[in-house]
Amino acid sequence: MMQFSHNDDPERAIKVHVTQGESHVTTDPQVVMTTVLGSCIAACIRDPQAGVGGMNHFLLPDSGDGRTGGDAVRYGAYAMEVLINDLLKKGARRERMEAKIFGGAKLFDGLSDVGASNAAFAERFLRDEGIPIVSSSTGGVSARRVEFWPTSGRVRQRLVAVDNAPQDVRRPTPAPMPAAASGDVDLF
Amino acid sequence: MPQASTISVLVVDDQLTMRALIRNALQQIGFKDIREAPDGEEALKNLLAKPANLVISDFNMPKMDGLALLRAVRSHPPIRQTAFVMLTGRADRELVQRAVQFGVNNYCVKPFTVQGLREKIEQVFGPLT
Repeated sequence: MMQFSHNDDPERAIKVHVTQGESHVTTDPQVVMTTVLGSCIAACIRDPQAGVGGMNHFLLPDSGDGRTGGDAVRYGAYAMEVLINDLLKKGARRERMEAKIFGGAKLFDGLSDVGASNAAFAERFLRDEGIPIVSSSTGGVSARRVEFWPTSGRVRQRLVAVDNAPQDVRRPTPAPMPAAASGDVDLF
Repeated sequence: MPQASTISVLVVDDQLTMRALIRNALQQIGFKDIREAPDGEEALKNLLAKPANLVISDFNMPKMDGLALLRAVRSHPPIRQTAFVMLTGRADRELVQRAVQFGVNNYCVKPFTVQGLREKIEQVFGPLT
């Protein structure tokens, strides 16, 4: 007979859906983070010792020629920084962090492969920051439905045919990169 | 009008990627004398050994965060006049207000653009050439 830990029990699981531009971190073993990815990337990072983990979901703005420009990379670095800082605040240690990355598909034939650029960015960022990628599933031509159990690190992925993927996955647009002055606190 | 190339800058951020991106943005603006530190503690040592005209510092860092670095800079007479621009993850009113109390010169919300960072620095030094 198959045994289920309580966090596998769908009756008790707390599902948190992480949409584009979001980042979520938890220490709650009942939480399952879910997302659906086309060319976007989700980085799932956790500290196994501290029992804390989280997921982000981002899409770098495309520079139009298949590469990502400076502003795009700053946006991606910020998305990663938000996740890492939130992990640190909940007790994670940078040197114990490990990552799994998903997404970066090329859903349509076109001039640029923004999915590949996104995946390359995430891999390079994590390598530069010394955070090992313990598993990944990137590229390809299918959307992905991903479930991540942040405290155990378990991941379940299902490939989704493009036609069955949600509209925002089929035609994602990057979250607008805020201008430096937007949202400023007016003190100066 | 100050020349960016004559202003020395210390970039403080715990993420190597972010330091590289800030350095790249500063180079695009015209800065040439750019050094880096991975946290507030290293930054303070660096500044005391060799002062800089401008510090651009992240807030969330291990060992000594950006606010503690700002306080330390303002309490050390040889470097207390250093211009200090804080980088924040979002427009956090409480953080900015505390930074103002401790004498921050300006702040910049991530993710910034090169032009946005330039404007924040120019609000401190005047138009750069």
